[in-house]
Amino acid sequence: MTHVSGNGGTAGTGSPDPSRIPVLDCAGLTKSFGMRLAVDGVGFRIFEGEVYGLLGPNGAGKTTTMKMVCGLLEPDKGTISIAGRQAIGNLEVKALIGYVPQDVALYPDLTAGENLEFLARLYKLGRRTVAARVDEALELTELTDRRNDRLDSFSGGMKRRMNIAAGLLNHPRLLVLDEPTVGVDPQSRHAILERVQAFGREGLAVVYTTHYMEEAERVCDRVGIIDHGHLIAEGTRRELVAQLGEQDRISLSATGDLERLAEACRGVKGVSSAATAESSVHLVAAEGRHLLPAILEAADAAGIAVTSVDVVEPDLEAVFLNLTGTALRE
Amino acid sequence: MRTALAIARKDLRQRIRDRSAIVVGVIAPVVIAGLMSLAFNGVNNFHFTLGLVELDHGPVAAQLVKALDAPQLRQVITVQDVATPARAASEIRSGVLAAALVIPVGFSAAVTGEHPEPLTTLTSNNATIAGDVATSVAGSFVAQVNADRLAFATAVAAGAPKGDASRLIGIVARLRIPLQAVESPIGAHELKVISYYSPGMAIFFLLFTISYTARSFFVDRSQGMIERMRAAPVRPVEILLGKALSVFVYGVVSLATIGVVTTAAFGADWGAPLPAALLGLALVFSVICLTALVIGIARTQRQAEGIASIIIFGLALLGGDFFFISSAPSTIKHLALLTPNGWAIRGFTDLATIGGGLGTIVEPVVAILVISAVVGAFALSLARRAVTS
Repeated sequence: MTHVSGNGGTAGTGSPDPSRIPVLDCAGLTKSFGMRLAVDGVGFRIFEGEVYGLLGPNGAGKTTTMKMVCGLLEPDKGTISIAGRQAIGNLEVKALIGYVPQDVALYPDLTAGENLEFLARLYKLGRRTVAARVDEALELTELTDRRNDRLDSFSGGMKRRMNIAAGLLNHPRLLVLDEPTVGVDPQSRHAILERVQAFGREGLAVVYTTHYMEEAERVCDRVGIIDHGHLIAEGTRRELVAQLGEQDRISLSATGDLERLAEACRGVKGVSSAATAESSVHLVAAEGRHLLPAILEAADAAGIAVTSVDVVEPDLEAVFLNLTGTALRE
Repeated sequence: MRTALAIARKDLRQRIRDRSAIVVGVIAPVVIAGLMSLAFNGVNNFHFTLGLVELDHGPVAAQLVKALDAPQLRQVITVQDVATPARAASEIRSGVLAAALVIPVGFSAAVTGEHPEPLTTLTSNNATIAGDVATSVAGSFVAQVNADRLAFATAVAAGAPKGDASRLIGIVARLRIPLQAVESPIGAHELKVISYYSPGMAIFFLLFTISYTARSFFVDRSQGMIERMRAAPVRPVEILLGKALSVFVYGVVSLATIGVVTTAAFGADWGAPLPAALLGLALVFSVICLTALVIGIARTQRQAEGIASIIIFGLALLGGDFFFISSAPSTIKHLALLTPNGWAIRGFTDLATIGGGLGTIVEPVVAILVISAVVGAFALSLARRAVTS
């Protein structure tokens, strides 16, 4: 794993001070399903007030890691501690965790209030506390006026907000958000990301898994990059991007065989990585702007018509590409 | 326990909101028990019209006509004179008569003669019971006549003077066959059809709780709700206990409501309240264990529905929910004793006929609990795995 350490101890400006007690401390997490090794030796620490992003493509092992952290899967190997307490098989520690699953997990035939009340009761809270937490959650999600409406009458974005609110009912110290914006409209996504940033400011430790590079860049103080079950790099955005040095990320949109275009670009001197993603080819290259004529020439020679070229500052997408040789969203 | 109560409360709220639960749990069993009662009530009040073709007009034929007019038979048979066998057959075909008895010419004379003239019953496949009753009445009369003939012949063979024939005939005519088979039910009360089908249908529809609850478990799982519950400080067994509690409350309310409604509306007899309630509780416990079994065995919602259907209809057919188990072949009667609903129906039937208190239901309750314990022990570990997988 590439571990990039910074100097600071404050979330958002550098790696945290190791002398502080982490809210989540996991090490050597390993999980296999039959012959398939889903997570292999993953470990990271998250501190109070920190939003930690676990960035990786679909199937990288993010959800399996989160399920182990939340006690839903028992690791084959490794240790997990929450707020200094050993977590594996420890039922009481679960009260410290707020879990927001990838899919909306609420009852469509119950009202917003009934859903939240039921979930709050699972934490063995008193009646008054349950009522107060439900009010609080509805206020937080701006759904107080929809309290008595059934969930199946809610929009997708409202359900997503409710899904997050349900994870906060127990006032957790660690909030685990597993791809909370999948399938959400841009407006709701913006609102969710704002809220996640606010959680960090309010002192919560947040684990945020995503395969959207932009989200990780926007909301996470530190990012762990996971691929094929391995945590391959970890650090702040600045630290991770600094690995690339003076390299740029170049996106080529083209019609035709994109794999062939990527192969042609790999042959250009100075291009360190090339991978296809959706309808474009992403390259990481030193002095990218100066390489453009050579890249376009290679594309032409390969018989591919490039329709647009975009040279951008190094970002997490470029880091991932550089580390794995593949794009985040293939 | 608080968590299990919260899960049970939530499940019941969903169940009540789903109106089909009230239809399946209360309305359908009451309606079907009522319909079954109407359909089968005729068995208890059996009556039919018998055609009588009297071609003999002799003294023995007159005795037979008189026998048919006996008060015991009047409750069952209305005799209607018909001129000819052909006419009787025609009226049986048209449904006016259920069966007919033909007394042939020379029937009385044949009693003392060498050549017998047989009584003939005309029957129809559409009224087999009436045919059986008519044949039985005719057979019974012929048996009496033959006994008289035998007594007369024995007296003559023993040396009675033939000149006293008319006196001897008078003596034997007053004789009646002393040995008869008499039905004597062991119960203090007759079992009414509604008293059989009310618990029968209530139990049958209670079995549907297995399907509903197992399905709701797999829906919960596919919606991520089981996972969400497990992410909270909740043990798998608490989730199962919550589901079991909801089955328990729903089952008890359903059985009690059907009991009250069928008693008030149709006069069904469920027996004394306390033993009937204990029997009902034992049965609901068995339904909980069967539900856990389905949850444990199935992997998907569809599998759960399929397995539950097999269990529901298998138990209902073997246990006697659809038909009087007493009239079933002996194999089915024995198989019924392997089912909790079979024992429960037996218990409710005993309460309605024998009456009595807790002593009457000890055997059925113990049997149901033993079956439940066996099923439950096997199901629990499987169901726990279903929660955690």
